[in-house]
Amino acid sequence: MIIAVPTSTSGEKSFISENFGRCNFFYIYDTDTEIGKVYTNIYKDGQHGVGLRAAEFVLNQKADILITPRVGEKSLEMFKLSQIKIYECQNETVKDNITKFLNNELKELH
Amino acid sequence: MQIAVLSGKGGTGKTLVSVNLARLAKDSIYVDCDVEEPNGLLYFKIPNIEEEIVYTKYPVIDHDKCIGCRKCTNFCQFNAMAFILGKVRVFKELCHSCGGCKIVCPAKAIEEKEKEIGKIKHGYHDSTEVFSGEMVLGEESGVPIIKALLNKVENSNKTIFIDSPPGNGCSVMESIRDADYCILAAEPSIFGLYNLNMVYQLTKNFQKKVGLVINKSTDDNLIREFAAENEVKILGEIPMDLELAKINSEGNFVSQISRLGTIFEDILAQALSEVSL
Repeated sequence: MIIAVPTSTSGEKSFISENFGRCNFFYIYDTDTEIGKVYTNIYKDGQHGVGLRAAEFVLNQKADILITPRVGEKSLEMFKLSQIKIYECQNETVKDNITKFLNNELKELH
Repeated sequence: MQIAVLSGKGGTGKTLVSVNLARLAKDSIYVDCDVEEPNGLLYFKIPNIEEEIVYTKYPVIDHDKCIGCRKCTNFCQFNAMAFILGKVRVFKELCHSCGGCKIVCPAKAIEEKEKEIGKIKHGYHDSTEVFSGEMVLGEESGVPIIKALLNKVENSNKTIFIDSPPGNGCSVMESIRDADYCILAAEPSIFGLYNLNMVYQLTKNFQKKVGLVINKSTDDNLIREFAAENEVKILGEIPMDLELAKINSEGNFVSQISRLGTIFEDILAQALSEVSL
């Protein structure tokens, strides 16, 4: 299972970005291999449509789960076409949020 | 000759100034370029309004021909296309109709279609010719409508008054592109000064001649000091005045009232003489 998280700084100790489309990095964690990878969000400074690009990235990573504070209307429209499940993050580090998700402690967002 | 009236923030009197100047000037044209919320037509009483639809182009993907190379989505600077779940998805409202995606597509899988983005209203109030643009709700950019509006008047030898959108974004730049003179409407508040400076910098970048009108003028010297520092001419000051506010809010021209009319006559005379300098 692949979990995607928008983050403010890089890595599992980072806090989750307050914004999905304009996050600085994405943390992509594979539960099977237990390996997390960090990707820079190259679209974050665009004027419009950055949420779409973020959705494009997350879906192209074949993520099953997205942990985020919120997603915009257009990104949600795209996520609804897919099988991805979106969970609401808590104000903790990426690692803590992933642990909580695996323990069924996070709430589904949409 | 084109005179654009603009301001950094909304509600500082762009429309008040531009409709009254257009009404006072002989053989003038008023163009409402504030297409997101046009309100010039609240003043001009036009019996027979003509309407014309403005269209823009957007890409349509032939998914059978698409080879999934993503050249189009990488090319798009406005993030109006994304490759999601094996397909190129187009978000029309983000598209700026540049046509680039069609050019870079190696599979010829992109055709352009037209969509309605807004309309232009046209008519006469006595001798004043009026154009007003109106954007379809939910659209992202009014620039194509402003282009279409200004195309209507570009060869006219009348005096054209352009009521710009607020701010200093793309639509403002488009509305002042061919302006011979810019009138900046400002109110004496800290917020007003900040926004005045933003739009003043924009007119400087465009190397426009500018003049200032202080609206809701009080004994506060904020804007006067700005004008002195930057050597910008103050064309006139419109007082904070209850009667003016009332007449204006009823959609009437305050320049038709003798006590207030002279203020606008002075602004017009000064602006016209500044343009010809």
